[in-house]
Amino acid sequence: MISAGIDAGSRTMKAVLWNRVEKRIVASAVADQGIDQDALARSLFDRLLDENAIQRESVRAIVATGYGRKLVSFADRAVTEITCQRWGVRRQTPEARTIVDIGGQDSKLIRLDEYGGVAEFSMNDRCAAGTGRFLEVVATRLGAKIDALGRLAAESQSPAHISSMCVVFAETEIVGLLASGVSPHDIVAGVQASIAGRVAAMSARSVESPIVFTGDVALVPGMTEALAAAFQQPVAVVPKPQITAALGAALLAAGEGDGRVAGH
Amino acid sequence: MSDKAEKITLAQWDDRYRALCCGGLHESADGGPLRRHVDEGGDRRLLHLRMDNSAAALRLWNLLLSEESRLRRAREQGVLLVGTMKDLGTVPVMAYALDNVIAFYPDGAWWTPCLMEHNEGLLALADRLGVDDSFCPVRAMLAAMVNGEHFPIPDTLVCSVGAVCDDMAAIGQRIEELGFPVFWWEIPHRRASEPGEPSVELPGGLVVAQSQVDFVRDELDRVRRHLETASGQKLDEARLAEGIRRANEVRRRIARLRRFAYLGDPCPLPALEMMIAEILAIHFCSDWAATVAVLDDLLIEVRRRLIAGDGVCPAGAARIFWVNPPADLRAMNLLEEAGARVCGTDYMIAHAIDEINPSPKGYNSVAQGNALGTEPEQHATPCKGKTKGAGEPPPSLYLLAQMALADPMVGPTTERAERICREAAQNGAEAVVVSRIPGASHCATEALVIGRLVHEQLGIPVLDLEIPPLLDPMEPTIRTRLEALVETVINRRQP
Repeated sequence: MISAGIDAGSRTMKAVLWNRVEKRIVASAVADQGIDQDALARSLFDRLLDENAIQRESVRAIVATGYGRKLVSFADRAVTEITCQRWGVRRQTPEARTIVDIGGQDSKLIRLDEYGGVAEFSMNDRCAAGTGRFLEVVATRLGAKIDALGRLAAESQSPAHISSMCVVFAETEIVGLLASGVSPHDIVAGVQASIAGRVAAMSARSVESPIVFTGDVALVPGMTEALAAAFQQPVAVVPKPQITAALGAALLAAGEGDGRVAGH
Repeated sequence: MSDKAEKITLAQWDDRYRALCCGGLHESADGGPLRRHVDEGGDRRLLHLRMDNSAAALRLWNLLLSEESRLRRAREQGVLLVGTMKDLGTVPVMAYALDNVIAFYPDGAWWTPCLMEHNEGLLALADRLGVDDSFCPVRAMLAAMVNGEHFPIPDTLVCSVGAVCDDMAAIGQRIEELGFPVFWWEIPHRRASEPGEPSVELPGGLVVAQSQVDFVRDELDRVRRHLETASGQKLDEARLAEGIRRANEVRRRIARLRRFAYLGDPCPLPALEMMIAEILAIHFCSDWAATVAVLDDLLIEVRRRLIAGDGVCPAGAARIFWVNPPADLRAMNLLEEAGARVCGTDYMIAHAIDEINPSPKGYNSVAQGNALGTEPEQHATPCKGKTKGAGEPPPSLYLLAQMALADPMVGPTTERAERICREAAQNGAEAVVVSRIPGASHCATEALVIGRLVHEQLGIPVLDLEIPPLLDPMEPTIRTRLEALVETVINRRQP
């Protein structure tokens, strides 16, 4: 009784195989995005099946989610990442009331009601300043790797104030800060605080605890602390944050969640 | 091709038009295939829209898209063209009460960059004229005034200012700087009466200080005299009352259409056509008689579909209350493609849709013993003891002043939000979409206020969505949000 979820995100492709009977993730995989999303998704999916000796026929249904969800031609249906995150996160942290999902090119804030349903959600509107793309830009500018940013930020004495409203201008601002002698540690800490501040601003109406953090950017050290500071509340990272949307998709494919079973 | 209700592309409309013609299609002077608006008018957005397939919708689109040529014909015939700005529905009632006068909104050019997909260069020209994209897309009006390539330059411009849109005030001033005189009239920020101060209940249920209605009446009286001077005609009570009657003819039809379209299941008319039909209320698209005819056709079509159980959205589609007109018409298509339907709207023109009440509360009737009289001569006058006489404003101006003060934009957003909550609840809305207009000053915080109140009073999701004049680059993310909203609504239905 296997189902599959495929998250065709803007920066990475994720796939999860779910065993409905045993209620467990059978396997998961992540790959960088490419041009042909359908082929990439199929290759990732086939690889997972091969590595786990699962026949294609044993997969009961497939749900695709993410930015490229409609390009995954072999999926039985497409569901947005907001709905999938809800199910993926709730499976791992049932107590969650607010989900912060920061991906490569967008960020989302999902508020859950007392029954775990989506009450409201918001997404960043105009630019990449509240997304992982900002971290990539600063890493490139500083000649650092993304996963080193947390270590850099941890040594910050006085986080820089990044005031620009867009990533392109912020990059110029960073060049100016470097030229004026501001340390890379303070710049990285400032960028993380800036991203966290933008995400927190999306919660203007309400944010309820517990707040959980998911998406690719949840793997970047220092971001959780930056978010906690911005929300002025504790923030916990979901286990396996990269694959929660794919997991939610697999759960929906299995008929867990909305009661509808896709395909076949 | 069948008469079953559906949304079709422009290419499909080409065939549909031929089929309708073979069936004896009745058309007005502005009729013809929709394709001509692309070929002759450059309205390329039609190529990317899905439109209702009825003959009634064809007439609606033709009325809308032929307005510029209609205005130019009027100019050639010596008709006085009054450019009204911002008030959205009040000054046109006065202007259409006169012979050989047409009022239109140059503001309507805000949709031109969408319709022509930026090929007309209006926003770029507005940039060069010093009004950049930190302003509402209504800045297209400024450019259209300067290049004269869209609507004819009005013989006179009348603009409301004060507690209305900051963008409009700034753009109106820029227009004046560029050599187009503007007749300004002021509208105050709506407020409730203070203790001991007489109050008036407006259409829609808002209560304001009577002194405000008196003030706006006097401002509208200045407009009246200005129109008299410009037209060389007397704009007296009888004419004003007739103007109100005609406006109410349109408003009543739109109210009926809204009831049928927003409450009917399956939804009998697409959100896009409904939006255009509602917008007809503000100035009748420069042709009152054609507007009435188009609305009658739509009503007949909608009734026919309701009786036949025929609709343009699947039964049970997510019921969405939509707030603000989107800068890109395609947004309404996207909503329906996501699996939703519109069940109510607030396009900031509630004061142009509510009927102008001939017997408002808080006024004494001129005709003694007939306080509920509805004849033109029996319109009410204020409680303050003023009597109809030489030099006094015509009583009907009080009614128009009340409508102007009922403008959602001139009062606190909370009052607008209250109405939205009321109507959303009445119409069974399952979610609210607040469509923000980029740069529009009123949009800066209203989504927050409306969202908070909807959440508190109705407990349904609110989606805050910014729609630019051409949404194409943002289509994936807008589509995702709308689809997620529909998924959320459907999931909330389950026990």
